Amino acid sequence: MASADNPSRERILGRIRAAVQTTAPHHDGPSGQIFAPVTDPLDRFQKECVANITECMVTADAAASAAAIANVLASLPPGEIFAQDAPELRALVSGFTDGRPLRWSSEGPPNEASQATITLCEALVAQTGSILVSAANGGRQATVIAPVHIVFARLSQLVPDLEAAFARVYEQGIASRNSYVCLITGSSRTADIEKILIMGAHGPRRLIVVLQKTG
Amino acid sequence: MTTAAQEFLRKAAEKSADLAHRGIVRWNIDQYDAGVGRGKTRFADWEAARQRCHDIKWEAVNHLDRYLLQFEQKVKENGGHVFWAENGEEARHYICDVAARTGVKKVVKSKSMVSEEIHLAQAMEKMGIEVVETDLGEFIVQLRNEPPYHIVTPAMHLNRQQVSKLFKEKLGAEETQDPPELVAIARRWLRKSFFSAEMGISGANFIIADAGMVTITTNEGNGRLCTSVPRIQVALTGIEKVIPRLQDLATLWPTLATAGTGQPITCYNTLIGGPRRAGEVDGPEEFHVVLVDNGRSELLADLEQREVLHCIRCGACINACPVFRNIGGHAYGVTYPGPIGSVLTPHLRGLPEYQHLSYASSLCGACTDVCPVHIELHHHLLHNRRNAIHAGTHSSAERLGMKMFRWTMMSAGRFRFMGSLGRTALRVIHGMRLEGTALDPMRPWTKDRAAPAMPRESFRDLWRKQNGVR
Ligand code: SF4
Repeated sequence: MASADNPSRERILGRIRAAVQTTAPHHDGPSGQIFAPVTDPLDRFQKECVANITECMVTADAAASAAAIANVLASLPPGEIFAQDAPELRALVSGFTDGRPLRWSSEGPPNEASQATITLCEALVAQTGSILVSAANGGRQATVIAPVHIVFARLSQLVPDLEAAFARVYEQGIASRNSYVCLITGSSRTADIEKILIMGAHGPRRLIVVLQKTG
Repeated sequence: MTTAAQEFLRKAAEKSADLAHRGIVRWNIDQYDAGVGRGKTRFADWEAARQRCHDIKWEAVNHLDRYLLQFEQKVKENGGHVFWAENGEEARHYICDVAARTGVKKVVKSKSMVSEEIHLAQAMEKMGIEVVETDLGEFIVQLRNEPPYHIVTPAMHLNRQQVSKLFKEKLGAEETQDPPELVAIARRWLRKSFFSAEMGISGANFIIADAGMVTITTNEGNGRLCTSVPRIQVALTGIEKVIPRLQDLATLWPTLATAGTGQPITCYNTLIGGPRRAGEVDGPEEFHVVLVDNGRSELLADLEQREVLHCIRCGACINACPVFRNIGGHAYGVTYPGPIGSVLTPHLRGLPEYQHLSYASSLCGACTDVCPVHIELHHHLLHNRRNAIHAGTHSSAERLGMKMFRWTMMSAGRFRFMGSLGRTALRVIHGMRLEGTALDPMRPWTKDRAAPAMPRESFRDLWRKQNGVR
């Protein structure tokens, strides 16, 4: 938008510039450590997952991961599965879809009626039991649309806390490479009626992390 | 007295006498208090978190031009548009124009208090566009044709029976007392909207200068669908929402969540930096950020009150406020209820008409104690009171009263005389059983309360007697 179409821009900026010529007083206070350091990230991640209702399955190798994912899929009603088109997921997923239709992200966004989506992630955060995803993980809808979201991650992706997660975002250019980034913590929920916690408002009711220790 | 003030007094009296309403609000806030108590134990040092949040917002607000320009440039580089709106009208115009140009017939909205502030939905509806609120609480109050009751919990004032009745009436749903079923009804209904809407409108909890992204925080996932599915996306926010760096969110996200609901962190913290990029699977074709001033730059120019722009809209001060706990959110008659609303509204809508809100406070300071960014809310209420007096907005009766008060207080003799006059007058009125009637000058107090018997002697008389002073 050219500024000619938006004359208010200069007016607003002019007022702001004039105002901030003088700086407001700053209140000083304690500057200690805000969160206790996370000493055992894997243990902390698993505990946080229990608390925020994420199903976390730690697997030893690729075969165990494939079996874990197959197990989850077997428990779901019939219907299409959507997966991020990544070589690792191609290797893991083919062979256990039980003849279910499988749509890859290279074919476009997931169908609204998908039974589950399977994606990778950018990082896992132990401090809050969170999963960092981006548009690269199968698109924006891939991680929100289905009642079940399965995330495949490796132990090397686990960072201790949010500070470390943002350090990784900068290092790997996650925010500059993607138009969309989301930190997911637990399954979709609402407490808008009488403050009663109810799972599965608009996003996934089940969030499953398959966390592979090796490879 | 202005009409807004009269309306406030009427509604406040009505609501504070509604015990069922107070019961619901108390239940909600008890749940909230318990949650926040648990949430704070997850911080090694909550005070340090508040200080960090203050530091971040102070830095941003005191260099607002620099950070807004940095943000704007990044968004543009990534193919988005940024529009600066002087007031609500300009913002409405811009968004309505985008909608008309792109053939929008239906809009899905996730929570945005700025959209309430500028009455966006009403303007779009006038154009024949259907606007659907998708946050469950907002959806419920929209069906009731009500404004949000609270900035974080818009349907705090309703119980499941009322929601069930509403869904039956408006959506033709079966009645149910089961909250999960009520949520499922809303989910099914709203799903259709997400996939048929051409435009998604969201607010922004923060806008991040160094990344050129807006972040929105939701538990339900409605905000994610609004920003993923429709082909046009608009983020509508106030100019004060900018923060310098992405990593500031490592403190702001958990602190906002804990102050807002007691959660360690909100379920979905989404960052959006533009339209769908080449190679991405999905996302909107157009991404617009509308930065609204609407009085904020004037607040910025007020050094004494500038820090009010640090507000992250967590709602903690509202929940802590004893006035809110008794009169609820609708009695205020404004977009932002509670202490922050009473401080902010005179700046957004004009001091003369909204100065009465500065008095909707006992000045207990509970709001200041809980504010996660250290805004001295009760001091700002006092500033507003003083500013209103300086602007001469008080009535001539009040002015005369204060003059007499001053005159009385300036001399011990006058004080003694007026004191005995007052005691006698009240004893006579009460002796004639006129207490609480129109003839009683103490009526605002005595009409609902029994007044203690007025003593014959003043403190001074008693003191002299007991100490034998003559
Ligand atoms: S003034 Fe402080 S406590 Fe109140 S809503 Fe804003 S940030 Fe929260």
